[in-house]
Amino acid sequence: MSLPLLEIQRLNKSFGRVVAAHDIDLIFEPGVLTSIIGPNGAGKSTLINLLSGSIHPDSGSIFFEGQDITRLPIHRRVKMGLCRSFQVVNVFPELTVFDNARIPLLALRKRAHGLFRPVGGEKDVHREVLEVLERVGLPAEAGTTASALSHGDKRLLEVGIALAAGPKLLFLDEPTAGMNPVERSKILENIRSLSREGKTTFVIVEHDMDIVFSLSERVIVLHHGVVIGDGTTEEIRNSPRVREVYLGEEVPS
Amino acid sequence: MLQSIVHVCLAGLSAGMFIWLVASGLTLIFGVLRVLNFAHGSFYMLGAYFCYTFLRFMGENFWLGLLVGPLCVCAAGFAMERFFLRYVYHLALPYQLLLTFAFVLLFDDLVKIFWGAGSIGSPAAPGLSGSISVLGRNFPVYSLFIIGVGPLIAVAMWVFLERTWLGCIIRAASSDREMASAIGVRVPALYTGVFMFGTWLGAIGGGLAVPYVGLLTPGMGETIIIDAFVVAVIGGMGSLKGAFLGALVIGLLSSFGTRFIPTFDMFLTFILMAVILVWRPQGLFGEST
Amino acid sequence: MVHRYLTYGLYGAMAAVLIGIGLFSGRFMLYMTMKVMILAIFAMGYNLLLGRTGLLSFGHAAFYAAGAYGLGLVSLHLSSHPLLGIFAGLAAAFVMALVIGFFCVRHTEIYFAMLTLAFGMMVFSLIWNLRSITGGDDGLVGIMRAPLDLGFFSIPLRKANHYYFFVLFFFLLSIFLIHRIRQSSFGLILAGIHENDRRIEFAGISLRNYRLAAFVISGVFAGLAGTLGTLLESNTAPFSAHWSYSAQPVLVSLIGGIHTFAGPMVGGLIFIVLREIIERFTHNWMLWFGIILLVIIMGFRGGVVGALSGFAKQKKTASTEI
Repeated sequence: MSLPLLEIQRLNKSFGRVVAAHDIDLIFEPGVLTSIIGPNGAGKSTLINLLSGSIHPDSGSIFFEGQDITRLPIHRRVKMGLCRSFQVVNVFPELTVFDNARIPLLALRKRAHGLFRPVGGEKDVHREVLEVLERVGLPAEAGTTASALSHGDKRLLEVGIALAAGPKLLFLDEPTAGMNPVERSKILENIRSLSREGKTTFVIVEHDMDIVFSLSERVIVLHHGVVIGDGTTEEIRNSPRVREVYLGEEVPS
Repeated sequence: MLQSIVHVCLAGLSAGMFIWLVASGLTLIFGVLRVLNFAHGSFYMLGAYFCYTFLRFMGENFWLGLLVGPLCVCAAGFAMERFFLRYVYHLALPYQLLLTFAFVLLFDDLVKIFWGAGSIGSPAAPGLSGSISVLGRNFPVYSLFIIGVGPLIAVAMWVFLERTWLGCIIRAASSDREMASAIGVRVPALYTGVFMFGTWLGAIGGGLAVPYVGLLTPGMGETIIIDAFVVAVIGGMGSLKGAFLGALVIGLLSSFGTRFIPTFDMFLTFILMAVILVWRPQGLFGEST
Repeated sequence: MVHRYLTYGLYGAMAAVLIGIGLFSGRFMLYMTMKVMILAIFAMGYNLLLGRTGLLSFGHAAFYAAGAYGLGLVSLHLSSHPLLGIFAGLAAAFVMALVIGFFCVRHTEIYFAMLTLAFGMMVFSLIWNLRSITGGDDGLVGIMRAPLDLGFFSIPLRKANHYYFFVLFFFLLSIFLIHRIRQSSFGLILAGIHENDRRIEFAGISLRNYRLAAFVISGVFAGLAGTLGTLLESNTAPFSAHWSYSAQPVLVSLIGGIHTFAGPMVGGLIFIVLREIIERFTHNWMLWFGIILLVIIMGFRGGVVGALSGFAKQKKTASTEI
């Protein structure tokens, strides 16, 4: 029998009186492009932080491919293949695009310890970096300093850095935040085709339902730290509970 | 044996009170401005030298010197914050620390230029000279006086910070700078004010030290600033209560250390500091971040 | 590309000048140049930590002293072979940096600075008080510069112009090693830490281990400077372990430029020369130094090298615009 990629059991986290995660049970299977949605303050960021290791849960367990990772530090999780991208641009600003993607690849290929060997000598890493840049659509910008990129390209690089770490499961935190519609459709198309490659299972975290509905095979809805909906796009669209909570809050704006 | 222990305790308490006076200003400034001021020890030194000068000029009146001297040092503190420190708050930590370190070099040499590089013998405080017998052994009256003054200043500061409007604003600014400025506090002016107040505390420590230390030397600030760092760290950076208790602990520790294990006396202080930093970096009384 | 050849040219010229000094200069010039080189080794290593990971250590004087006393003790009690002494000094600095660093890299910013200060002062207090071993406030005295015995032949080091080339060798070796480190994978990761230490962990890299490695490497270079300085002066000074001595490499890096490779070398040169000049004319070199430091922090944070390369870049862009 095959183990699920990620399994979360009765996960709890609260900040003071605010409950950000309440008894969350979820299972992620490989290859299923999933979205986690919910209004602002629903606990999406907390969940992603708990899973990637930035914060530790009050109680509950997280298993990655059957291994308990609840207390593992961030970099160990990344090495196992659990990675994330960030909502705000979080790259290495004064390094080139190439070096940005090279850092996680060096770690992945265990070439990050060389003290006296020039980094340029790692030929296979060099090739893989170019592959990653190709996949996210930034091959022409390899030599550009990251801070000089346009906002949309920085977001692509953000995804590129996450992909370069060779994740089996990748959480994308609002990958389209701050993008114009053209950039947005470009990155979503990118995610779709990368997901089809099958190397990486994507989980997109969004507060805007429309962005992800066309893309996702499975949608999870969070509200006040509780999972209130979990199913196909169609099931979620028709769930009275989701409509009541989620749409009821979104519409007035 | 009892007599000896009591005397070691008293000596430790009085030494601790000086450290407390310096550390209180240091930790207050850190709490509000988030700057660790190496030059705070220099304010202690300047306080001592200014007090000494004024009491010489004004007919050997120690109390008058103690009143005027620290106010002059406040002016130096004002200049330092207003014209230099203010422009580095946004910079990385090394720049801030090195800026204050530059002032240590400056103040040390200025003192050498104006007062000479040698030591100056200091006069006794009128009415508090001599010793009285404690358990059959003489103890300086002035040290007992200091043991009384330290807690007095601690209580006064507590009342000021907890019970007055201005104190309330200072506490607000130290916990949330944006919030304070949002409710209309003029943060830059407040910072200058707090820095000057902290400066005054250090300088008053130096002024009070004039009759106590016996000799004024240009390097006297550098010894006490490290003790003050230790105390601020142990108590929790930014915590006044912590600084007070930390000063007592360090005063007593080094007093007992000097008496019983002189070889490891300094070592004890720093290992305590390191253990606390590793185990509880926010200090014994600091808020966890 | 032109920039690269210019850089190599500059380093070649520097090596030539240094060799020239060694061949044709008097004792004073030799002594001062050796001091510059030793300080530059200290600062270059230190800057690997400060410039690349942003960690400000007040404990590196302890590693300098570990090198100094390691060499001194071996040389006085075991063997006066200079390479054995240097090896002992480096080993002492390495072990000490590993142990102290293990605790210190858990924290950053002010807590890191204070923790290194505490550990550094612990070492100082031991050196100061354990008189029977360290000589207390006198330090270890009478350390000889024995000939460099390489088995098949031996080179005398006692005279300044002989020892000079010994120091020059280690100076050039340090430049080479640090240059290689900066160009390596490890160097790129450190650059990443400098740019964004939050993100580096999400690239699958243990921030703590890399900080520790940078700490230990810089500690070993501090130890190397300590051994060479001790052989130069033929004694050890307890105050070389004092925290205020740790401020020296910081100042040197800052004068030269924290974020540049050549900064610590240029800074070391300026520091020693300036100190010599100011001390010749006034007794108040600290005053002038404080003022210089203020000017750098308030206006020229890139340091001398930063300002120069900034100027060169400006000129370049100006000329391309025309």
